[in-house]
Amino acid sequence: MSNEVYALALKSTLQEIQNVCPEVSNSFIFKDGKMLAKDENTPEKTVNSTINAFETITERAENIGGLEAITIQSAEGKINIATINDFHLTTVSSKEADEKYVNTLTRVLIPIVIKLVEKIQPASTDDEALTTVEPEPVEDDITEEVVDEITDETEDSNDEPTEEPEEETAPSEPDEELEQIEQEQTKLDEELEQTETEVNDEPLLPEPPVTQLIVENLGGLLVPSDTVRIDQEVIAQWNELYSDNKISEVEVEALNGKTTRCKFKQIKKSKDAGKGIIKMPEKIQLTLETASGELVTVKPVVEEQK
Amino acid sequence: MVKKTSQQENATTVIVDEDELSDTSEEDQTYTDLSNKLAEIRKDKGVLGYILRSTTSATIDLEEPEKIVEYALFSSQALDSSQEISELFELGDADSILIEGKENNVLCMTIDGNKISIFMEKDANHADILKKVSP
Repeated sequence: MSNEVYALALKSTLQEIQNVCPEVSNSFIFKDGKMLAKDENTPEKTVNSTINAFETITERAENIGGLEAITIQSAEGKINIATINDFHLTTVSSKEADEKYVNTLTRVLIPIVIKLVEKIQPASTDDEALTTVEPEPVEDDITEEVVDEITDETEDSNDEPTEEPEEETAPSEPDEELEQIEQEQTKLDEELEQTETEVNDEPLLPEPPVTQLIVENLGGLLVPSDTVRIDQEVIAQWNELYSDNKISEVEVEALNGKTTRCKFKQIKKSKDAGKGIIKMPEKIQLTLETASGELVTVKPVVEEQK
Repeated sequence: MVKKTSQQENATTVIVDEDELSDTSEEDQTYTDLSNKLAEIRKDKGVLGYILRSTTSATIDLEEPEKIVEYALFSSQALDSSQEISELFELGDADSILIEGKENNVLCMTIDGNKISIFMEKDANHADILKKVSP
């Protein structure tokens, strides 16, 4: 499990707790003697000194079956260090703070966030390499990052969820370890190759813009039933955005969620230009279960240039 | 003349002695009061024992006498480290410290230089005990 994911989620949670309850002046979370996340008010030095002090108490807490929480009450305020799923949450609150409210916030929110991150993280790891590279062209640096990430994840996935990766790898036999590393390397190479292939196939095009237009009837003897008419300005924007790519169709979506693809042409009559309308034959209106005067969204279907 | 000198000398001596005696007496009195309070609290349900320490004396009453040293070290460490944490966040002197363990809880506090640690079961009412000990 990557600590970075926890850190991001937990830092946001701590900040939100302080936003909701301004009486909480400082808050941070640590695990195994290392800080995971802290609010902006607390200096790192203070965090580290607190962790050291906490650890010295923990070392002698065998008599009481191990430490669960410490609450220090002073005239000026209160410090609470609570253990939640191997994480230690420290909150410093002023004397005005409502103890029950702060406890409800911290002891409910933090475990929920930890559980959520634990649930989301394994599901996302398989796709993480792809999503990391997808928006940008493949470069050597990024490839290295992907390798690092995959390495981290592979190590994580081999570990017991309740134990630390460092502790896990240490006791392995050298030969077994070497063999395992080779297997992982082969697996990584395969995954990387697959990633690069997929990235190269991926069109690096901007997301098609969605335009909202009002439906107007389009009729007549010579009107094709599979073509809508759209404002020239909208078409010009698309052409500007996808200058080297062909746009011959649009995807129209009605408010009820029904969609259809159809050809498009620009609106002929100048009096209809710039009104934010889409002229639509009856057949397409029936398909979309929409009618004149209703709103639809339109986006271009971009064909990549070969 | 001789009489005056004698009076002055005696007066000086008396003043110093009175202060010292007064301080010692007050400290002893606080220690005795706390000792009596703790002896009463010890009878409460869920209270496993206590340690009371002043600069010169100590009273220990624990269910497991063989672990006195361990408990004393833990108690001392908890008080010192908690005070350190309190100072880190500029909250001044710690009035009370509740340490929640997986099996038992410990309530620590310092009253007029006397360090107190009360060991109790998890379900014991620490707030009630704190009220009884506090001056």
